[in-house]
Amino acid sequence: MAKKNTQNNERHQQILQAFQAALGIENVKDNPATMNAYFGDWLPPKLLGMSMPPEFVVLPSSTLEVQAVIKICNRFKVPFIPVGSNQWSLTGSPNRQGTVIIDCKRMGKIHEIDEKNMYAVIEPLVTLAQLQAEAYKRGLYIGSPEASATASAIAGHCFQGMWGVGYRLGVAYRNILGIEWVLPNGEILRTGSFAQDAHNGFWGEGPGPDLRGMLRGYAGAMGGFGMVTKMAVKLHPYPGPKTWPVKGTIPNQISVLPEDRFKWYIIKYDSLEGAINFMYEIGKAEIAGVVQKWPTVYYIWWWANSNEQYWTEWQKRTFQDNVKNAVGVCLWGFTSAKQLEYEKRVLEDIIKETGGKPIKQEVFDLWVPRTANNWIRDTHGSRMMRPSGTFLALRLQTDTLKYSIDHVRQGYAWVEKFSPPILDCDGPDWIGGYDFGHFGFGETDFPVEKRADDIGDLMNKLLAMTKEDVQNGLENGVGPFLGGPYHQMAAPVFNYENLLKSIKKAIDPNFVSNPPHNIDPNA
Amino acid sequence: MAKEMLLPKDPRYLKYPLDAPFDKEKARWIAFNCSRCSVCKWVNSWQVKSARYARICPQHTRYLYDSHSGQGKCDLALAIIDGKMKWDDDPEIKDILFRCTMCGGCDAMDKNIRDAELVKLYRWMRSEYIKAMGPLPEHKNLIDSLKQYDNVWLQPRSKRNAWAQDLKNLGIKDLNKEKADVLLFVGCTYGLSQELKPTILNIAKILKQNKVDFGILGDKELCCGSPPDKIGLLDEFERLATANVKRFNELGISTLITPCAGCYGTIRVEYDELPVKKQFEVLHVSEYLDRLVADKKINYQREVPLTVTWHDPCHMGRMGRPYVPGKDLEGVYDEPRRILKSIPGVELVEMERIREYAWCCGGGGGAFTGFKDFAQWTARERLTEAKDTGADILVTSCPWCESNLRAGGIGMDEKMEIRNLFDLMMQAL
Repeated sequence: MAKKNTQNNERHQQILQAFQAALGIENVKDNPATMNAYFGDWLPPKLLGMSMPPEFVVLPSSTLEVQAVIKICNRFKVPFIPVGSNQWSLTGSPNRQGTVIIDCKRMGKIHEIDEKNMYAVIEPLVTLAQLQAEAYKRGLYIGSPEASATASAIAGHCFQGMWGVGYRLGVAYRNILGIEWVLPNGEILRTGSFAQDAHNGFWGEGPGPDLRGMLRGYAGAMGGFGMVTKMAVKLHPYPGPKTWPVKGTIPNQISVLPEDRFKWYIIKYDSLEGAINFMYEIGKAEIAGVVQKWPTVYYIWWWANSNEQYWTEWQKRTFQDNVKNAVGVCLWGFTSAKQLEYEKRVLEDIIKETGGKPIKQEVFDLWVPRTANNWIRDTHGSRMMRPSGTFLALRLQTDTLKYSIDHVRQGYAWVEKFSPPILDCDGPDWIGGYDFGHFGFGETDFPVEKRADDIGDLMNKLLAMTKEDVQNGLENGVGPFLGGPYHQMAAPVFNYENLLKSIKKAIDPNFVSNPPHNIDPNA
Repeated sequence: MAKEMLLPKDPRYLKYPLDAPFDKEKARWIAFNCSRCSVCKWVNSWQVKSARYARICPQHTRYLYDSHSGQGKCDLALAIIDGKMKWDDDPEIKDILFRCTMCGGCDAMDKNIRDAELVKLYRWMRSEYIKAMGPLPEHKNLIDSLKQYDNVWLQPRSKRNAWAQDLKNLGIKDLNKEKADVLLFVGCTYGLSQELKPTILNIAKILKQNKVDFGILGDKELCCGSPPDKIGLLDEFERLATANVKRFNELGISTLITPCAGCYGTIRVEYDELPVKKQFEVLHVSEYLDRLVADKKINYQREVPLTVTWHDPCHMGRMGRPYVPGKDLEGVYDEPRRILKSIPGVELVEMERIREYAWCCGGGGGAFTGFKDFAQWTARERLTEAKDTGADILVTSCPWCESNLRAGGIGMDEKMEIRNLFDLMMQAL
């Protein structure tokens, strides 16, 4: 491997010694077998040789150690990538020689959970599952994306945060409060109330301009703006049990929340328009905790417990014939069982008025206990990979619920155009409702076969998709443009190029923070 | 006309190749399909009850780097198989492969989200490593002992029967000479360890008290093959396992029972890979005695006023049944708990990580003999978790777990007594 040559290089040795002096010998690695574990991902880049092993992996344990690492990277002008739990490694795969991975495995503390003021102060390794467990114990909760709760809660709050409970408590990035953050140039920045008191993170705004937007944007800064070392996140009141209810054995666990406080419905409509109208009406009535229009493929991705079960049921059309244009709703009795009773009556009126019908009871009974609560607390998210080795997504876009319909329909056309290699998926059309129906989030997710011999051809087709995606983004909604290449394409169109480049230049003068994310100032 | 469905071309996506031999191709398939989802590092998130006890993998928790995890081992396997790395490229490969207790925590969590057999992948990798690099010096004594004495403790074969001399008056059958319905397969550790000898004596007494028609093989008993299987000496495993199955079949027994979790998992699950098939039922002693408890045949005489917590040995639990994709990861979880609850005075309190989510004791996979520092660190984590339950004692039924937990506890500020399930049972009889 290339690493063998660099290890003997004088510059490599200087950097190694600098890291070792800052962190201790055991917290710095440069050996091939360790590096080999830090450039895989769920996307095809590793298979196509588009990513490469890093040159170092370092394990800082504190903000000051992160600062020391980043200063060394600047001194030697070597790129670094901060990673959280490194789950799926979406943009954590090095694509440049000499990359340093800043792995936060020694930064897993929950500093504080303030029950009265409902916030937690966490370090980057703390996963959503860990934070959820501690919050539940205190009658509080956060959400988690449907894939997955093993992700870093800090990263999860910066990146999208389109989690199931976002309908009720807002998407995750709106729950960020105070931040402690090492900028790409090594300066430590504290925002919100951390700016006054490093131990008190309850407030997110200011001082001065609200800098949280730099980190979260819509899909995070992808490591392009340094590394967050501590974050306060908002928690919310929770009417559920202190320990998550789960029965059964892997892979057939079921989770049933107390029926006097949580009630699932899956209501089917003749058209996508009907389904979206239902979502609007629910939002207007200000009821429910989760409102999602899942595509058919989601039902079976999260439900199937083996490849054989997935493809057998798919060929039997168990879900295609029963859940098309269906909306999943979970009512929560936040304050009392009476509230749930009230919401049930309201929802049942809405179902009647909008012409909805419950899906077949046998399909409901098959699916809900094993799968539905995944949208409140994820556990099956990575099942998305099972049927074909990977899945891909395009057309991640925020819009009104109404325009999300056009958005996902364009997705149908693109899926059709590129099938194969896209596999059978029954028109993937996920539309999530957020902020009581104030806006929708559309995404087109589909299975593709992870085949090394097909992968080059597939990538060409995906690039074509991406180009269409960006062009389409000009007409409908706002896309997330995930990091470097996307910002490079989209920033000139949306006229934020100069702003983003200026910020990047100002805080990352040596262009070392996960280049080319989130934008290349010199391109 | 209905449009033809677009299904994966590779039939392995349609159905996991469970019955295919575990060769390089199968190893690559498992490694290739790792999506870096990291579920191999954490307790299944529906089961996470606190931030403190959210991790499943001792190796990754101890060594932190992703290379030392299920995901990292998949990356390593892929690099080796695809010719991008060689076994001698990096001395740390040895630690990545062997500083792992083969506890199957990652494997169980992974099976929730994909069809794969991670522990079998590691076993294949260890075997390939040994072919290229030779056996580990850390395992030399164990290997020499197996080859010379057919046990793992460098003890002469004649010593294997020594424990039974204390029970001569009980008239335990020697199945080399006479027939019985049940074979009590003692295992190397219970058979040869002075420290653990009371347990096997107690088991024999309980069986006798309940008029079970059982016998032993005495000094003719061989190692079950678990240690060579776990450390990658597959030829040695096959030699021992084949000899054992043939011998057990010849005995005409209906049931083999063993108190050792390692022997149990190996005989019950791993022997299925052999060409020669078992003609008898395999039970852990706790499963067998649970049936007697259910039939109200156990007559307790005394109370044992203790609050206890149960440690699930990996090879009785998540590694104790053959894998079938989509089916429950069953194991011997309920039987020992029912026995504990049947003992008058005993109160069972649970740790956070139990059943298929149990944290390993640290003693498996060759760690107990080869990497004591890591094995005992892992044990201390378990003991801390046990202490947090408020239990007076930790109960288990695996000689490796018992020994390693005791070793790990030395020097800890808060002591936790380790007891065997059958010793506790005997105390009440």
